[in-house]
Amino acid sequence: MPLKTMKTDTAETLTLEWILHVKNYKLTIDKNLCVGCQICVLACPKEAIKIEKQSKVQGEKARKAKVDADLQKCNFCGICDVLCPYGAIKVTLNGEHALSVVEKESFPQLIRDIQVDASKCPADCVECEEACPLDLIKISRLTADGKVVENVGSPTKRKRKKLQVKVDVDKERCPCCRICEFKCPEGVMRVRKFFYGKIVIHPDKCPEGCTDCLDVCPITGALYLSDEDKKVRVNELFCVYCGACKVVCPVEEALELKRTKTSHTAVRSGAWNKALERLASPVEITKELKAKGSLRARDSVEKRLGWKSA
Amino acid sequence: MAENEIKKQAETEEPRIGVFICHCGLNIAGVLDIKELVEYARTLPNVVYVKDNRYTCADPGQEEIRKAIKEHKLNRVVVAACSPRMHEPTFRRTVSDVDLNPFLFEMANIREFSSWCHPNSPEEATEKAKELIKMAVAKSRLLRPLQTIEVPVTNKALVVGGGIAGMNAALDLAEMGFKVYLLEKSESIGGHMAQLDKTFPTLDCSICIEGPKMVDVGRHSNIEIISNADLLSVSGFIGNFKVKIRKNPRYIIAENCTGCGECKDACPIEYPNEWDMNLGVRKSISVPFDQSVPLVYTINKDYCIECYKCVDACGARQAINFEQQPEEIEIEVGAIIVSTGFDVYLPYDDPLYGYGKYANVITSLEFERLILAAGPTGGKVIRASDGHKPHTVAFIQCVGSRDVNKYPYCSNFCCMYTLKHVVQLKEKYKQDVEVYVFYMDMRSPFKGYEEFYDRARELGVNFIRGRVSRILEVPETNNLVIHAEDMTLGQPIEIESEMVVLATAAIPKKGTDEMARVLNLTRGADGFFMESHPKLKPIDTPTDGIFLAGACQGLKDIPYSVSQGSGAASRAATVLSKPKWKIEPIVSVIDPTKCRNVTAKCGICAERCPYGSIKVEEKKAAEVITAMCHGCGTCVAECPADAITQMHFTDAQIVAQIRAALETNPEGKILAFLCNWCSYAGADLAGTSRFEYPPIIRPIRVMCSGRVDRDFILEALRLGAGMVLVGACHLPYDCHYISGNWKMKARMDALAPMLQKLGLSAERFRVEYVSAAEGVRFAELIREMTEQLHTLGKDKIIAENAKLKPVLENMLKRKQQK
Repeated sequence: MPLKTMKTDTAETLTLEWILHVKNYKLTIDKNLCVGCQICVLACPKEAIKIEKQSKVQGEKARKAKVDADLQKCNFCGICDVLCPYGAIKVTLNGEHALSVVEKESFPQLIRDIQVDASKCPADCVECEEACPLDLIKISRLTADGKVVENVGSPTKRKRKKLQVKVDVDKERCPCCRICEFKCPEGVMRVRKFFYGKIVIHPDKCPEGCTDCLDVCPITGALYLSDEDKKVRVNELFCVYCGACKVVCPVEEALELKRTKTSHTAVRSGAWNKALERLASPVEITKELKAKGSLRARDSVEKRLGWKSA
Repeated sequence: MAENEIKKQAETEEPRIGVFICHCGLNIAGVLDIKELVEYARTLPNVVYVKDNRYTCADPGQEEIRKAIKEHKLNRVVVAACSPRMHEPTFRRTVSDVDLNPFLFEMANIREFSSWCHPNSPEEATEKAKELIKMAVAKSRLLRPLQTIEVPVTNKALVVGGGIAGMNAALDLAEMGFKVYLLEKSESIGGHMAQLDKTFPTLDCSICIEGPKMVDVGRHSNIEIISNADLLSVSGFIGNFKVKIRKNPRYIIAENCTGCGECKDACPIEYPNEWDMNLGVRKSISVPFDQSVPLVYTINKDYCIECYKCVDACGARQAINFEQQPEEIEIEVGAIIVSTGFDVYLPYDDPLYGYGKYANVITSLEFERLILAAGPTGGKVIRASDGHKPHTVAFIQCVGSRDVNKYPYCSNFCCMYTLKHVVQLKEKYKQDVEVYVFYMDMRSPFKGYEEFYDRARELGVNFIRGRVSRILEVPETNNLVIHAEDMTLGQPIEIESEMVVLATAAIPKKGTDEMARVLNLTRGADGFFMESHPKLKPIDTPTDGIFLAGACQGLKDIPYSVSQGSGAASRAATVLSKPKWKIEPIVSVIDPTKCRNVTAKCGICAERCPYGSIKVEEKKAAEVITAMCHGCGTCVAECPADAITQMHFTDAQIVAQIRAALETNPEGKILAFLCNWCSYAGADLAGTSRFEYPPIIRPIRVMCSGRVDRDFILEALRLGAGMVLVGACHLPYDCHYISGNWKMKARMDALAPMLQKLGLSAERFRVEYVSAAEGVRFAELIREMTEQLHTLGKDKIIAENAKLKPVLENMLKRKQQK
């Protein structure tokens, strides 16, 4: 069969496909999970993904930016899959999740450091489950013999104590906002972010009554409306630095977002260096390279930027 | 011939012309009255000797010419016999044997142009022959001795295209001791043959026989492979070509690459492998196939993510360089062999076959990659829809070939490769597979091929003679239902098959048009490169020093491509083996005293020259680069100051022919200017084919229609010619001087309305395009024109002429003074 290349764009998903006689490559973007941040756009080494700001209807909330992928440019490397904070992109080979860039250690994986010590969980506590803005936490209670108890209210207090609590977090889709950690009354959750950075909103530059950034922010509480001046403020504690807000912000310089560090598995990879350069900044990448002692790579970056002489 | 000899001959006072009239057995003598011709020739001015021979071209006939030159001190020789396209070179040699300059010889074509095309009107034919001799004598009086031009030869060759034909050409030349550059567009040499599994009719493995040859090419000390490179431009001429080549970056330092493949293993990125007809994939850093020559890896930057894992894997060898840039080089060669091969038609545009739509419809080349053990499926023939082996396979022949709506020609090798495929399938899966072949005619004409066809039939393959009318997919099973006509049964049939294999047409390589422009080659109606002569010069091209090999000239299978490769090598060696190459001196010469460019800005000649062989500098007379001049004469006709002369086809010589032709009864004649390569050859063919047409045409041969000066037309009409015809090669590509016919067309398109304004009937001046193959067309054209001439009537023509004459005379004053 001759090579077939296909792009299908529905309300739910966007897929790109290469169908060969013996192989089938597929990239699927789940539009429901996509928040319209710019991570994949920045990360893609082939500049195959674009994100487009949606026009705003007067009086309505701002809509998240729309993602689009170019069949001509995509090479199904899966870097977007690796880096998507919300797990909205999947690359498969013959129907199976395949990330050869990770397998061949040509690209790092994000470290989603989420630790839960469920042994300390009170049987009737559902704080984290309710707090998660993306509905990624599922709490279940098991009896000693492993049976799931649906209703925790009825058994006696003693019996309740014997129940074992299990906290399941859908790690692949978790942007590590730490809301669950802060909401947990017992301190059993520990979450480390994988993007670090700095976000600043200058309310003086914000248009009157504009809440576009807040409208699209997928993390409840990362942004909030100030009671004094009805302008949006940041609670940097929960921000995951995905940039969905930055994409829709109508005023330049009103919202400043900078990613600095990334928590990832250790690899030596030019592709990662370039991705980091775009995701964070050239300064950050030289810092990271310095830390890793990759002098040759650092030199090449500095040379390219013309810093070498300085 | 020595310089002083030429001077001597040029200075000879009075022409002493010998006329030799050939009987050509009964070919001429059977129609024409030879005696009358002899008597007539004696009356012509400056003719001092006339002789008729039974066969002038035979040894005794030639000896008579030599004897007569010596005895009668002849300084011009006219032979009235066959076409100069046939024997002019023979007689030129004859006269030069006795130290007469070969350019003091002229021919009158009284066989093809008279006895053969007017067999039923011998008297008129004899009359025409007389005038043909008269015209030849008139020209011969003005002939000047010329010295053959010699140019040095670079004894290196360039072979363009490293398929099996090009490889053989390169190897043969290298073995003869010539340095050969083998230019290959893709990453490896090998061509289509390297994609094949087995070869017919012996079923030996293709790469097993080609691989060692590829290695031989790669290792030969006289061969330099320039792969992954494009041909940018070719300038110069036979023996002295300058070729510009762009080496595209592989991002690999070839000298450091050991071909170990460790980089490939480290690379995470795959992309569809064109070499595998995109059935399988290759790595972003890879070779297209394991036996690639040169065995140098290539990074495809379209897919590479630059993770530099390959750099790590390569390590100390340091063969990878991401900064590599395209590099332009220039080489000098004496001969070029073009062996650019073919492409395969992919029938996406023909809904009949469902190619690209139905998963289990594939082309034969795709099938080749499926059944090949080193292919993407490891030699398993499986369906794309479900990965299962098919139990029925139908082969459909002539997809796109022999189809007037697509490619009218036969693609030559499809019948045989399909036979190979069915034999392979049957031998591999035995009773487990049912095979059908739908064909129009099974063509198996060469050594061992018919026997191979028998073998396929004995294996129980179902051969169904008939065309397929449509193919539909059964949605549940992805099987295909073929609707066809069985011509043997004379009724429609329907066959359900699990896989369909299409034997698609082979077509000219993509970029053939660009290649034709770069190399100054012409292409046939089928798009393949045109050879110089279909029978006698099947390897030569119209551009001297450039030869053809393999499928780029016309589709052919492996043994014939190999043969033609060797043939092209030997043709190229005829050039390369000489220290100097002789060029016909029929070139243009500019008279610096007349050239306008000295005083004004002109440069028309340089602009119109199809070969860019005229150099024009401000305030200086234009200059012809003689070795680059191909002798079409276009510049001569274009020059507004008449400062340019084409040797051997001077204005004076042609005007003398015109006047000789139109001396008596001009109103009843058609004066024709025919270009040597197409229309003159077409007229010759009309003669050899014995197509009869009225004998009122008086043809004048020019090398190219571009030579036909506007003044020639005016002169002919001034003398009262009934009709004037300019015959040229077909537009757009047929001109043997690239674009001489276009230049002529522009000139005549301007002239025609002017003449009509002056009162000339439109049909009296015509430009027609006749190819060398169109003898019928030429005969028809003359019949049609004769009819028009009669319809117009002599009186009307005479009346028109009376009105035109003073105007034309005025216009031609300049010419008259000469």
